[in-house]
Amino acid sequence: MPELMNHVDFRSALENAIKGKSANKAPFSVAWASGKLSRAHLARWAENHFHYVGPFADYLAYVYARMPDRYTEAKDFLLANMYEEEIGGDRHTDLLIRFAEACGTTRERVIDPDNMSPTTRGLQSWCYAVAMREDPIVAVAALVVGLESQVPSIYRRQTPTLRDKYEFTDEEVEFFDLHIVSDEIHGERGYQIVLEHANTVELQQRCLKICEVGAQMRLLYTTALYWDYVAKEVPIEQLEMTERKVA
Amino acid sequence: MPLVILHREGQTHRGEVAGNSNLVVKAGVRQFPYPHLRYGCGMGKCAKCACRVLKGAEHLPEPNWKEKQRLGPHLEEGYRLICQLWLNHDIELEQDKEPLQPLKAEASTSQQP
Repeated sequence: MPELMNHVDFRSALENAIKGKSANKAPFSVAWASGKLSRAHLARWAENHFHYVGPFADYLAYVYARMPDRYTEAKDFLLANMYEEEIGGDRHTDLLIRFAEACGTTRERVIDPDNMSPTTRGLQSWCYAVAMREDPIVAVAALVVGLESQVPSIYRRQTPTLRDKYEFTDEEVEFFDLHIVSDEIHGERGYQIVLEHANTVELQQRCLKICEVGAQMRLLYTTALYWDYVAKEVPIEQLEMTERKVA
Repeated sequence: MPLVILHREGQTHRGEVAGNSNLVVKAGVRQFPYPHLRYGCGMGKCAKCACRVLKGAEHLPEPNWKEKQRLGPHLEEGYRLICQLWLNHDIELEQDKEPLQPLKAEASTSQQP
């Protein structure tokens, strides 16, 4: 039977739950990192990514509404997170659209939900379902710790590649830059909330499980991007060779 | 561990931070220099976090495109956007009572302190 963990052990367990299913080895991520994607592939990524991250404030709004009144700090954090996504500086999705346009697609195509793949629709639906149905602390574990806190490390790797290999300008890749600071704050505060309020064995175990599932969902989404948009032009064998060389 | 000295409104605040720390991230997660450092968007737009670097500027990287765009001539006066800096050396900063106005005005936030 699992036991109640202290904050240090629980944090380490959360980090391990996320690590197990990292999307970094998905073929789309390998192709991205090795410079094998075309701008058209990246445009398809942006058209899908918009529908996963675009409603992030909506997901959090459901969690906010269901977070108990007495968890004032947690509620304030969710509100600040929503504000920063939407109107704190540039709207984050506007920066994603700027990148998409640099890849050759249009704002109209990006915001059109018909242009997302069924798998992306599945990831978006999972985020909504978690926000609406899970215990709000478990939902913070899923959406903020499991998904949002991973973004800085992913974008730290991807942004130099976008500049150096794909030759985008600084302004075109600002979407990736800004998340290194803002998501680091959001991810860490998400950890603080989960560590403080997941104070039963059952809640801790549910948080761990949902972080694992969140990482699986992101991996599923990233893998599908490759098979839906890239596989015909960049065969998997080429990527396996690339990965072996990197390893 | 870099030592950070922050002067603001006649007060001096000192604290150590881990290597490769961003002070806006630290303040955002309620660690030193919270609640003393004013910041806003965290994305190099609003310039609310701007500080004059009194000591340690030689260890900082060259200003990036956002700092050049937002601070312009203020860079010559020693100002930097703190949200754009990851620190690995001791630094002494001064933050003005009133935030700098960024050269290209953009939406700013109501983040405190």
